[in-house]
Formats: sequence, structure tokens, C-alpha cells
Amino acid sequence: MQRRTFIKTLSYLGVVSALPFLSAQSFAAPSKAISVDDLPELTGELTLYLGRGEGGLYEDVLNAIKKRNPNFTLRIRRGPTAALANTIMAEAKAGVRQADLFWAVDSGAIGQIVGAGLAQKLPNDLTEQLQSEFRFNDWAPISGRIRTLPYNPTRVTADKVPDDIMALPDSDLSIAWAPAYASFQSFITAMRILEGDDATTKWLKAMNKKAKKYAGELGVVMAVERGEVDVGLANHYYTLRLKSGKPDANLDLAFTKNDAGCLVNASGILALKQSKTATDFMRYLLSKEVQTYLSGEAYEIPLAGQLPPPSGIPSLTEISPPAIDLTKLADLRPTLVLMRNAGVL
Amino acid sequence: MFKTLFQALKNTLNPCIKRWPLSYSLSLIIASLAFFPVIILFTLASDSVQMFDARNLDILSNTLLLMLFTGGGAVIIGVPLALLLTYVNIPWRRFWLILLTAPLALPSYLGAFTFYAAFGAGGEIENMLGITTPAVNGLFGSSLIMVLYTYPFVLLSTRSALSSLDASQVYAARTLGMSLLPSIWFVVLPRIRNAITGGALLAAMYALSDFGTPAIMGLNTFTSEIYVEYNAFGLSQAAMLSLQLLAVVALMLYMESKVNVSKEPPGRHLTFWPSPWQTKLLLLATLPVVIFSIFLPLAVFSLWLWREGVSSFDIQYAINSGYASLIAAVVAVIFALPLAYAATKGKAGRIMERITFIGFGIPGIVMGTALVYTGLQLPFLYQTLGLLILAYVLRFLPLAVGTIRSSTESLDGALVNAARVLGAKPKEAYRRITLPLTMRGVVAGAALVFLEVMRELPATLLLGPIGFETLSTYLWRVYEAGYFGRAAIPGLLLFFISGLGLAIMFSTERWGSVTLNERSSR
Repeated sequence: MQRRTFIKTLSYLGVVSALPFLSAQSFAAPSKAISVDDLPELTGELTLYLGRGEGGLYEDVLNAIKKRNPNFTLRIRRGPTAALANTIMAEAKAGVRQADLFWAVDSGAIGQIVGAGLAQKLPNDLTEQLQSEFRFNDWAPISGRIRTLPYNPTRVTADKVPDDIMALPDSDLSIAWAPAYASFQSFITAMRILEGDDATTKWLKAMNKKAKKYAGELGVVMAVERGEVDVGLANHYYTLRLKSGKPDANLDLAFTKNDAGCLVNASGILALKQSKTATDFMRYLLSKEVQTYLSGEAYEIPLAGQLPPPSGIPSLTEISPPAIDLTKLADLRPTLVLMRNAGVL
Repeated sequence: MFKTLFQALKNTLNPCIKRWPLSYSLSLIIASLAFFPVIILFTLASDSVQMFDARNLDILSNTLLLMLFTGGGAVIIGVPLALLLTYVNIPWRRFWLILLTAPLALPSYLGAFTFYAAFGAGGEIENMLGITTPAVNGLFGSSLIMVLYTYPFVLLSTRSALSSLDASQVYAARTLGMSLLPSIWFVVLPRIRNAITGGALLAAMYALSDFGTPAIMGLNTFTSEIYVEYNAFGLSQAAMLSLQLLAVVALMLYMESKVNVSKEPPGRHLTFWPSPWQTKLLLLATLPVVIFSIFLPLAVFSLWLWREGVSSFDIQYAINSGYASLIAAVVAVIFALPLAYAATKGKAGRIMERITFIGFGIPGIVMGTALVYTGLQLPFLYQTLGLLILAYVLRFLPLAVGTIRSSTESLDGALVNAARVLGAKPKEAYRRITLPLTMRGVVAGAALVFLEVMRELPATLLLGPIGFETLSTYLWRVYEAGYFGRAAIPGLLLFFISGLGLAIMFSTERWGSVTLNERSSR
């Protein structure tokens, strides 16, 4: 039964790509979310390198997949994303390839492995499940996060928060930021690509004069909530998670328009070995159930199938994230040089 | 690579094998093993152009101050506690010893995070009690946390030195009219300064290589620079900066090696018998340390646990932590014995012993990657428990070597000579004289390695068998994800398992020991 519906889906996709008009349309919009019921059963064994644990949530997803596929063994190694990327490079150099899959919380680490030519090409029908700006040949984004400006409504009103990230240092708001945090550096990389090095340096210098530094973006959001500052720079989910534990928190989200300030970045997965099980496993992660779960529980933005964003943030069509190739965000080193020269790092 | 190294080793050894004592040959092999990851760092760093610049100098001063305060603070807390736990007859002495040593098992970043969350405006203390406390951050905050989670280095190394010290000199000083405190200051402490500086060195090196604590406390150190580079996929830059950091390590090692200690025969044990109220007062004085290093983090985690609700936790993590740490502690001691012995035999031995310290000053994540490269030299062992243990041993060998050496080097050779004259073979003399007299040092070394392995993270994550979870990797996972309440139970277990392991180790302390005049002194 399951198999038949899956074959039906496959043949449907085949028909679609045979018709030029329809196929153009299917490229523009992602294919409808696929349920796990329509996916083939996983068999055999896979080793997954998982960048960051993300508590029980990714765990729940992986356990659910394991439970659904009794003939499938999943072996997981968790670690900091950059450390696992370096381990994969070291293993490739030594010719000892351990991992089948690498699931990274940060697209920069993905870019690193893709750049080293270690990632396998993905089938088209898999990438077509994703929204068009998130389609790549050799890796699949799983879920997104958006850069936001969390603010404290008891200290500042929404209309006082600028909708232009470049104008933020000119405002009279007190600001919290975490320049050592990886997501922040990706955001500066995006700013560098969009606005150029000079404007970015100027922005960093101006911000550095007034912003208060924190170790991570959870710290930033906590500081905003405590009222230490008016507004912060952080990924959206820290705010949503803090509010879920503390519904009356003094915390709201503001978004900038069409600039690096509302960059949508993604976690992603790639295959290090060519195998059907590995690609099928990725299909599970892009399924309706997993995407909905990650959005409902971890407050991440679903990127496959046309699914709604987590409650508490507007959908990707309502906000205007900048158009940027995520793999370019792996180019971190010039960003660090810039940040150092501005005295931020 | 290992094969060529081994061949080279053999070639250098062959011509002089007769003149070299056995301990030298063993030491050379172990020291080369321990130095291997550092050699890997050199090859990784070779395509980097990153060098010191003026900015680095600025953060270097933060790093140096943090090291200085950590080493000093660890001495200020560790030495009095060691005196209390060795010389004063308090009830439940071993319980207090274990309790006061256990903070070493908690990763300092967790301590730092709970301090950050508890203190300051809007912190948990204000939420609960309504009292606004000053925020703990910056250089002061980092030093405070570092001291709280490193003072057991000093405590254990000082304790093992104190317990083999002859009390007669103190009695003589007291008889001649010197009061108690001056007699401790002038008569006891100078004779164990090598053990104190040894412990302080370890504390300072921990401060040098730790990233999490200064990051949470908002202090920019050299190590934060290295982490930023590493996370930006600049592995070679991170390796290069780590090697530059080794200049500081080398300087410290040199300074520490200048601390000399006179050799003396062991003697009767010093014991003070305080009155009950004095005992209570003394134990009360240790409370702040226990409250801040153990109670506060557990209380904050429990508060969050209560807020977030209980979640499932696999007890296997605690078992994994316990046995991996125990095996590593035993192997580290076995590796450390010849090195410590060689260090007292001559200059070459001393150099080999110093070499093993270098890796301890390298930031964990960089060292973790160097160990991955090292492990890949033995592909059949890669990511097995055996290799993980070896990685632990290579990383934490200095903890065992340091304490064993400081208890060996103050040993007077007369006893061994006497045994030899009486017909004992060198082996027998070692087994019956030297080993029992250094047993406390051995156990202290094992305890330090055990606790440090309990909280080790990067090597466990990268080199453990797949699916091998420990308390420390689990704590890291929930911390990363921001589910702090889930840290309560594993945090408690971390202290419990550490206590259990320490109890086992301390119970072996008196193996084969000779009771020197102990009975007659009562």
C-alpha cells in the first residue's frame, strides 16, 4: 500500500517533468509536502554526524524515524559543527570515511564540506521539494532560522525599532549583540555581500560604540527580557523558546526589510557516500511530519513542502529576506578580518 | 607515521641502551606519544601566516591575568583545605575530602553559566529572594569560577605531599616557642612548595586552555580568539595560535621547574585534635566553597528542572562516564610512574617529563582535532573505546605525572639504599619502599585524571565509539540546546559518580604503606 502510493507519487513527478509548462511551474513552487506514509522503508545501516545535539528535539525526530523503520540502524555522532566538519576532512585525508551523512546546524560548515568536494549529488525530485531559493545540487536545507531584532516592549515600542538594519546604530536604542556567535558572523558575511566591505565596516564600528557584548544569542535574548537593553540581534527561535517557557516574558520580535538583518539561514544535510538509504533518509527529514514537528517544537522554519511557519513569526512571504546564495556564507574569513579591523572581535 | 617514529626511537636508543635506565626508555616512548598531537598541530599550522599582532598582545594580558588569579586563588583555597584534611582530626574525614575534591568533575562552563544566571539584576537569586546581587562577570567573574573548579588540583597535590611529611620539625618548632600558624608557614609550607606550585601550574594551565568560562563571563582571552578562528573553519590559524600560546606554557613550565625542594626521610604523621566547637568552626569555613561550587549549580539546575518538568535520562551515560574515567585514571598512572621516576633521575628525564605537560595547555577543541589526526594513524583503532582512553591518557598525563613526581622527588634515597644494602633487588626496593611512600601521590594523580576525564568533552565527542554518551556529553547537549533543567539529574549524578570513584581510589591509598611510628605517637 505504502509502496504503491510512493510509486504513484514518483510517476506523477515523472509526468510533471514531461510537460514543459507544468515543470516550469513546479520549479517555481516547491512540490506539496510529502507524508512519511509515502516514503520507502529504510533498510540497512547509516552513520550520521550531527552538528550539535539540539536537545531532545532532533533526537525525537531521529527516534521516530528509527521506530518507523525496524530494519534500519542509525548510528549518530554528535559534536560542535566545526569540529565535526574538521573531523570529516581529516577522515577524508586519511581515507577512513566513517560517516554516510552530515547534518549541520550551520550552512557554513556545509559549504566547507561541499567546497572540499566531499558531498554527493542529490536527485532532482528531492531538491524540488524545497522552496526554489533553497535548492542546491549537493546538499539539502532542512529547516530555516531568520535574523530578528528581539525588543523589550516595556522599554521601547515596535515603531521605534528601525526596519533598516543599516540604520540601527543611528537609533538611540541600547543594543545587545553576540559577535563571537556563528550565526552573527554569517549575518555579517551576508551584509558584506549585500552592502560591500566599507559600509559593513562602518556599521560595525558604529555598533561597537554602543552595543553590549554577550557570549551567545540566548544571552542576548535574556538580556533584552531582563531589560538590560532595549533591543538585541538574534536568531528568531531563541525568543520563541524563551517565551514558551515564560509566556509573560517582556519580549517581542521586530524584522528589518530586504537586508541582511532578516537573512534566512538554514541547517542542512549532505551525503558523504552514495547510497539509496542515505537519500531516502533525507526524504524523511523533508517529510511533512518532520518539518511540522521541527516547526512546532523547535520553532524552526519549515523549508520543504508548502508548510506554515511556527506560530509567533510571520511566514517567509510576508517578510522580505534578502536574496542570497547560502553556500556563499561559508566565506567567513574575510568577515572575521573585517570584524577584527573594526575592533569587534 | 608511528612506525617511523618508533624506528627513530630505537635507533637513538640502541647505542646508549646500556647506560639508559629502563625508566628512561619507557619515558621516551610515552613522552613521544604525548608529544605526537603537538607535532600534528605543527603540520596543521604550517600553511598559516597568522602571527602575533598588537591586538593579540592586548588579549594576551587578559589571559595572563586570568592565569595568575586562577593559580593564586587555587592556592589560597586549596592549601588551607589540604592542611585541614590532612592534619586535623575531623569526623568523616574521607567524606569531606571527596566532597571538596568533587568540583573538579563539573565542567567549568556549567558553573560559569549558573553564576551568570543566578547573580545580577533579574537573576535567579533576585527572582527567588528579592535581593539584588552584583553581577558576576569579566576578569573577576572568570577568575572566581576558574578557582572554584580548579582548586582541587592544588588540594590533592598538596595533600599527598603533606601526608608524607615528617612532623618532628613542627614539634621542634612548637617546643621552641613558635606558635601554630607561623610554624605551618615557616616549617611546613616551604617543604612542600613543589607540590603547591605543581598544583597551581595545573590550575593556571586549565585557565589558559578553557574557552567556555571566559566566553560566558564576557572576557576576551587568547583562547576565545582561537575558538573564533576554529569555528570559522580556520583550523590552521587556530593551530598556529595554539602553538603561540605554548610559549606561555613553556615559560610556566620553566619557572615551575626552578622550584626546588629538599630531600628528607618520611616520618611520623602530624595530627591536630581540635575541640568539637573548633571542628564545627573549621568545617563551617569550608561551606562557602561547597555552596558556590556544588550547591549553587545544582540548585539552579533543579530550579529549571522544576520549571521545565522531568524528562527521560539514560543511566547508561553515568556508567559510561564512570568506567571510562576509572580505566583512564589507572592507565594514566601506569604511564606516569616511569616518567615521574625518570624526572628525579636526571636532566633528560626531567625534560621528557616536562614534554608531557605541553598538551594540557592547548585549547580542548584544537587538541581534540589533533587527537583525531593522531587516532587516524591507527585506523583499526579509530573511534574505539581503546583509542579514546589513550586520548584521555595523552591529554591528562601531566596531572598524574605532576603529583607523583612531587611526592617522589622529596623522597630521601637513604631508605632505598638501606634496603639495597640489606639485600633487596632494585625491583623489590621499588615495590616495598618507593611505591608505598609515593602511594598517596599515585592516588592523588589517579583522582585528578579521573575527575578531569569525567568532564572531558572534545575528545569524547570526536573519538568515542559511535553512540558512546557520557554525562559530560549529555550535559553539553542539553546546554547547547538551552534545556538547562535537563542538566539537574546528570549534574547530580556527575558529583555522585565522582564521589564513588574517589572513594574507591582513596581506599587504596594505604596499600602496602608502612605505619611509621604512628602508633607510638598516639
